[in-house]
Amino acid sequence: MTVIKNKPEVLAPAGNLEKLKMAIRYGADAVYIGGQAYGLRSRAGNFSYEEMAEGVAFAHARGAKVFVAANMVTHEGDAGGADAFFKTLQSIGIDAVIISDPAMITICAQAAPGLAIHLSTQASATNYKTLEFWKSLGLERVVLAREVGIEEIREMRRHTDIEIEAFVHGAMCIAYSGRCTLSNHMVNRDANRGGCAQSCRWKYDLFDMDEGEARSHIQDGEPFSMSAVDLAMLRHLPDMIDAGVNSLKIEGRMKSIHYVSTVANVYRNAVDAYCEDPEHFRFDPAWEEEIWKVAQRDLSTGFYYGVPGEKEQLFGKPRKIPKYTFAAQVLDYNPETHLATLEQRNHFGVGEEVEFYGPGFVHFKQTVRDLWNEDGEPIDRAPNPMMTVTMTVDAPVEPYFLMRKK
Amino acid sequence: MIELIATAESLEQAEALLDVGADRLYIGGHPFGLRLPQPLSLEQIEDVIKRAHQRGKKVTVSCNALMHNQQIAQLPDYLQKLADFGADAVAIGDPGAMFTLKELKLELPFVYDAGTLVTSAEQIAFWVNQGASGAVAARELTLKELFAMQKKLKQPVEVQVYGPTCIHQSGRPLLTNYFTYTHAEAPDQQLFLRDPKNADSQYPIFEDEDGTHIFSTEDLSLIGQLGAMQEHGLKTWKLDGVLLHGDRFVRIVALFDEARRAVEAGAFVPESFANRLAKLQPAHRPLGTGFYLKNPEDVH
Repeated sequence: MTVIKNKPEVLAPAGNLEKLKMAIRYGADAVYIGGQAYGLRSRAGNFSYEEMAEGVAFAHARGAKVFVAANMVTHEGDAGGADAFFKTLQSIGIDAVIISDPAMITICAQAAPGLAIHLSTQASATNYKTLEFWKSLGLERVVLAREVGIEEIREMRRHTDIEIEAFVHGAMCIAYSGRCTLSNHMVNRDANRGGCAQSCRWKYDLFDMDEGEARSHIQDGEPFSMSAVDLAMLRHLPDMIDAGVNSLKIEGRMKSIHYVSTVANVYRNAVDAYCEDPEHFRFDPAWEEEIWKVAQRDLSTGFYYGVPGEKEQLFGKPRKIPKYTFAAQVLDYNPETHLATLEQRNHFGVGEEVEFYGPGFVHFKQTVRDLWNEDGEPIDRAPNPMMTVTMTVDAPVEPYFLMRKK
Repeated sequence: MIELIATAESLEQAEALLDVGADRLYIGGHPFGLRLPQPLSLEQIEDVIKRAHQRGKKVTVSCNALMHNQQIAQLPDYLQKLADFGADAVAIGDPGAMFTLKELKLELPFVYDAGTLVTSAEQIAFWVNQGASGAVAARELTLKELFAMQKKLKQPVEVQVYGPTCIHQSGRPLLTNYFTYTHAEAPDQQLFLRDPKNADSQYPIFEDEDGTHIFSTEDLSLIGQLGAMQEHGLKTWKLDGVLLHGDRFVRIVALFDEARRAVEAGAFVPESFANRLAKLQPAHRPLGTGFYLKNPEDVH
């Protein structure tokens, strides 16, 4: 039996400290976060230095890494203070920074020598010479452009040994990242400095100018749009791993705990299953079922097997995806009484069908049979956010197991 | 000395542009040049270079595509040929293309041209440190920022003074995908997008081997600001005719040449040139100043 020893890393997004911890508990080898400045997700919950330090301590105690995205494309004046920022990150113990702007790379290399630099996907690295160039400057890793195919990754791997990170899951820019300023031109929000208004997902008229008169080419009332469906390489992880990808990246610093824990859990389990015994690997349909519980759009393989066609864009009526809601988090469990103590995150009640899941791809469904409030009084529903309740569970759970409902 | 750079779509137009005062022509071909008025073959590129050199003028060849492995593998031959033809420079926007050029050790200068990604003096300094002779500024910059950038740099910051600018490049065939979805024939005409929230908007869109390109709703024009640009040391002016063909573009370049001479003679009257440009401009394409006259803090 061949075991894959150089297992690629599962890299998950973490919009805040709680998500960071959850992503790691649910199997992420590394997480990427944003600082208070220089990132591209100005509206994602970003980390203070104190929170970063706590996140790093938590991650390192579990053998996981923390990367900080500082991938803004700076204008005059934006890079002020970046030297102190990088120095602080290094002293906190951040494992790497993700940068796209060469001015920021220069500042980081000078201010914090030894702090690993990963080239952000914003720089659209699409060929092996580009990878070699960044390697020659001392970068440790390149995050590939989303426009690169599996065959191209294989060829890159034959030409260079720099670490390759590639997206495997989540929402995608429809443009080459960094090469889209629709948002700048349409609403004065700089896409490359964290202001992207997602103008590509708007609906447009499409017309020609016939002797000065606009003639619409809109067909059957279907507006023109450029909205990409999401990426999911779950079914093709063996291809990604065999091509030599070192880090499998999940998109979504704005995504919920429910999303991050579920996706990390699935990819962790699938990557482990393949690497433990690639020859006898069988795809488990339960992984895909699980992924659909948090999917927000239709899913596709992006550019990995060819240039995406019309099916990989959102046209017509959106696919109906059953919505699951994050209902509670397990705080405690008593194996003798089979009672679980839960913290409510969304209302639920007796008689409802719920599902528990936990790290290691554990999950089971059950009906809520009973419910007690903090004072031990029986109740029908758990209506209040963050209230503590107790219920009988059909299978063992542990703290940080999560409960969802349809 | 102010340098006037113009795109050229053919040998014929190239000669006309040189006649009316262009100092440097910007040409290129597939699969390395991006968003050209017309891709030229190597033979045509060689011809344009010859004619330009006969007149003491220069040629920059576009190699600023985002290159995939296949392109990067073909690039050395292409660069070698351009060097043999005596091309005065290449425009590069992919670090891998730059790395390839350096490895070849050719006598072929390059200007860094990565569209939206050149937004500060420190970035340009980085590429200069890698060997670039200068860089093309992103069109999303304000003149205030451009002045500040040029002040910090010895190398020229090239500024687009006329024409549409690309605001989106997708690797996907977005028009084909739309017409495939709607089971309609894709039309031959130049198409535009309109944002329904902005009834006057008209963003040109087209598809080619590199994917789909969307351009600004206005043709940029800095004709009224040329004096201020010269005062602040911004002396490399590019006119982009990617969507404007034939003689009309030549006449616009001629007007900018006249304006350049007026600026150099200290006799520049912006209003008069702006009025004349407005008359030359195609009726359905408004002129505008894009981000150039905005305050840096208006965009965030």
